[in-house]
Amino acid sequence: MAGLKLQDVRKNFGAVEVIKGVDLEVEHGEFVVFVGPSGCGKSTLLRMIAGLEETTSGRLEIGDRLVNDVEPRDRGVAMVFQSYALYPHMTVYDNVGFGLKLAGTPKAVRDAKIRAAARVLQMEHLLDRKPAQLSGGQRQRVAIGRAIVREPDVFLFDEPLSNLDAALRVDMRMELARLHTDLGATMVYVTHDQVEAMTLADKIVVLEGGIVQQVGSPLDLYNRPANLFVAGFIGSPKMNFLAVTVDSVTDDAIRLASPLLAAPAVAAPRSWMLPGDRLTLGIRPHALLLDDTGPIGGEVTLVERLGNETIVRIRLDAATEVTAALAGQRDVALGAAARLGLAPDDAHLFDNDGRRL
Amino acid sequence: MTAAKPKTWLARLLLALLMTVTLLPFLSMFTAALAPSGSYPNGLSWPADPQWSNFARAFEAANMGQLVLSSTLIVLGVVPVSVLAATMAGYGLAKLTGGRNRWIYLVFVAGLTLPFEAVITPLYYEVRAFGLLNTRFAIILPLIGLYMPFSVYWMRAHFLNVPNDLTEAAQLDGATRWKEFWLVQVPLARPAIMSLTILLFLWTWNQFLLPVVLVKDPSRRTMAGALGAFQGQWGTDVPLLCAGSLLILAPTVLLFLAFQRHFVAALLQGSVKG
Repeated sequence: MAGLKLQDVRKNFGAVEVIKGVDLEVEHGEFVVFVGPSGCGKSTLLRMIAGLEETTSGRLEIGDRLVNDVEPRDRGVAMVFQSYALYPHMTVYDNVGFGLKLAGTPKAVRDAKIRAAARVLQMEHLLDRKPAQLSGGQRQRVAIGRAIVREPDVFLFDEPLSNLDAALRVDMRMELARLHTDLGATMVYVTHDQVEAMTLADKIVVLEGGIVQQVGSPLDLYNRPANLFVAGFIGSPKMNFLAVTVDSVTDDAIRLASPLLAAPAVAAPRSWMLPGDRLTLGIRPHALLLDDTGPIGGEVTLVERLGNETIVRIRLDAATEVTAALAGQRDVALGAAARLGLAPDDAHLFDNDGRRL
Repeated sequence: MTAAKPKTWLARLLLALLMTVTLLPFLSMFTAALAPSGSYPNGLSWPADPQWSNFARAFEAANMGQLVLSSTLIVLGVVPVSVLAATMAGYGLAKLTGGRNRWIYLVFVAGLTLPFEAVITPLYYEVRAFGLLNTRFAIILPLIGLYMPFSVYWMRAHFLNVPNDLTEAAQLDGATRWKEFWLVQVPLARPAIMSLTILLFLWTWNQFLLPVVLVKDPSRRTMAGALGAFQGQWGTDVPLLCAGSLLILAPTVLLFLAFQRHFVAALLQGSVKG
């Protein structure tokens, strides 16, 4: 088992730079999730770690070994593909044992390892079947089993759950979390689903345009997003953004004004702020509360009753709507006027460049 | 639904007609083969006294045992080597080359456009220069070369359809390119390999022009090639000629009956891919 270290890692496809200098350190045993929208470079970065894509420049270390020019098979990594990539002509048993067979592992040892992996993944009854005879979830298990038996230093997962239906995805997610605890292995996981990222990760790496936007624990990212992109990407429903101007700054509060707001909003104080500064105010839907004197007011345009919470959309002007996720079952009528407020600590502020203040 | 019925009948009628047109020459050959030796049978009349012994005579006159052996040797020399080379080349062109090396593939495609008849004369001089005239190698070596464009094209089309994830999974599992080829790609390519084998077998077995031009001794030709010599020698004895032709046809027909499903698959594959 080993950690992972990336230093100014870059990747070009022809003249196009898709990974623009990534620095990252992954501790041994950590579960790291690369998350970002389609085309952000997360899968490319994972494939570079696997050795399936060449690294154009920078240093890539697995354990303490520089692996830039090491073949995929010699890197000590195992990968689970989005498409599962099972060998269609082999049984589950042979699929799982293929890597061991290639490594020349004695038959008895191989058999024991395959059966142990099958036990862990509860697929002992599937060993004689061919991949075509398996359901999506079962195939995913086999793909994971194939990775486990090789006892790699680093596990790589490329959107492994995206082909499964919603219910199965939740089950497999929990199973992956259990597997990580049981094996204590270093795992790197790519997804575009921020719920997967939040639930599985010790550390999330948010990527956009081939650049790391932020690295941190799930709650770090949720509570202190480094910029507008991370703030908008992490959390569901999405964070609301409003353009505001600093009205006044005191020792214990910043008052923010905007033509969109029914009353000035109050945020916790930060340094380097002067009246007149133009900022972006970010508010998580779950931070908003019904409040007759709150700064946000308008007409209710949408109500979604989920039982445990009520999602409400309020129109501030023709172009701006704010989403609120109110706890419990609220009596809010469509088309009625509503006012929402928030605690000063729940106001996220971003400067003109989108950086967190 | 009621309107479909007459159409079905029409289709069946057309099919039956087509089948008759296809089978009639064979039937005519068959009845002619049973006519008394030296006679000139006309058309489709069933002979009063069928001479089954004509087949035995033709078998001997054409030296059929020797021809089967010769054809088999040639097929064994051509087909396995061609299939192996085409499979490896197809894999290489589909999975290992890209971008700048695409022209290699175009060379093979260019080979497809070359008419066989255009190369036969230069081939004759080349084979003579190698001192291989009148040996089975005069048929085997050129055929391997001549089959390459199509075979490589065929196998490449198959390998292009194999998802790259499988290649990558094998690499991560610790396979070298060579092992990946043998343990993952070849087993998956079995249907394509099977189809190619059948096609190459047929083309080799029925090869006529090359053996006639390059090999003088009929006993070293393919069966179809030997038919040329047989015709020259027994052209006046129509029943014997017909019996001999039917015997020469027999192995391919038997093969077709045995591998019907693969034949159809092979032809369909060709129609969909490419």
